[in-house]
Amino acid sequence: MENQSLKLSVSEFIAITNQTLEYAYPSVDIEGEVASFKVNQGKFVFFDIKDAESSIGCFMMVFALRIPIEDGMKVVIRAVPKLTKWGKFSLTVQSVRPSGEGSLKKSFELLKAKLDKEGLFAPERKRPLPLMPRRVAIISSTGAAGYADFCKILDDRWGGLEVETAHVQVQGEVAPDQMIRALQYFNEQESLPEVIVMIRGGGSADDLACFNDELLVRAVAASRVPVLTGIGHEVDESLVDLAADVAASTPSNAAQLLVPERADIRRRAKQSLRHILSATEASIVATKLQNHQVLERALLRVSDRHARHEQQLSSTVALLQAYDPKGALMRGYAIVRGDMTKGATIDIETKQLVVTAEVQHVRQK
Amino acid sequence: MSDKNNATSIADRLTQLNQLVAWFESDDFTIEEALDKFAEAEKLAKTIDDELSVFKNKITVLKKDFSSE
Repeated sequence: MENQSLKLSVSEFIAITNQTLEYAYPSVDIEGEVASFKVNQGKFVFFDIKDAESSIGCFMMVFALRIPIEDGMKVVIRAVPKLTKWGKFSLTVQSVRPSGEGSLKKSFELLKAKLDKEGLFAPERKRPLPLMPRRVAIISSTGAAGYADFCKILDDRWGGLEVETAHVQVQGEVAPDQMIRALQYFNEQESLPEVIVMIRGGGSADDLACFNDELLVRAVAASRVPVLTGIGHEVDESLVDLAADVAASTPSNAAQLLVPERADIRRRAKQSLRHILSATEASIVATKLQNHQVLERALLRVSDRHARHEQQLSSTVALLQAYDPKGALMRGYAIVRGDMTKGATIDIETKQLVVTAEVQHVRQK
Repeated sequence: MSDKNNATSIADRLTQLNQLVAWFESDDFTIEEALDKFAEAEKLAKTIDDELSVFKNKITVLKKDFSSE
């Protein structure tokens, strides 16, 4: 009997044990509290996951850790059980997500502080959205109510848009990677869209947790194309919102921020016309007033000149009258006509008489 | 005319309208030209209004699967 028992080397035993474990647990989700968390050489993550009675060692690569964790945080890990070559049992962790409201909040705050320190949320990084975009990319789940709301408001408000939608999951563990791929897809297009809109309707904190994924937040911040988010309800704030160029409060609000409203454009066009009309009318009134003033000035000048001429005329008339010989006769003077030599006959004209006389004597004065 | 061109036209026409408003406020303004310019603005506003009534969005859902690389 002894000869029939399986004889294995230590390495073979460990390999078979691992195969058996892998068969039994291709992967397992375990909820517990993090303890003794540490990162070695910036690459390897070690921690224990424990509950009130038990504890298991965990190992994972740092790139697989998508959320910051610390001792005391309640998490759900997805892991593969493994017996190491030193005979130590541990869990090789594939993903970690916070569990419970407290851990979600803690994880959110830790990552927010980290990314904020790197400047990912800085206001100076924000780019304005185009006023009237023509090419728009959407990242959303086409079956979600938030997407339908967004499209409806978009159609009600505006037209002429060429919209391409990347259908992705917007909830759960796979959602961040799908959204990252969609962001990369739109950013790699030869002809870039003018804006990328990320849409997701309301949900629980756990539903929206994928929008706090570190790699997704970094992808949003790194996008060549401005990103507009419309995620959850007004009270919800995700790290993706903080990294986006513009964050709307809801999917409907995102549509409102993305495009103008037809009625607004009509109103603006009418206002422009009214403005032009009033400017023209004001100009006509001003021109009429100016004409009137010019005419008045011209009339005044003509009138002045006329008065001056009249005055000149009357002075000339007065002068002429002064030179009139009859005026002298009227004043008692006489006009003498004829040759002023002794013996000659002369005529003397007074106001009333003409006297003919002979010159008797002539002398120099 | 396609919707895309319509959207372009509306943006362009609004720009033209704004340029006309600017002309009315500028030193280039003359009464002689104002009536023609006003008629031009009125025509632009009407075209914008007409185009806004008809143009539609074109939404396409990509066939690409984003669930894997």
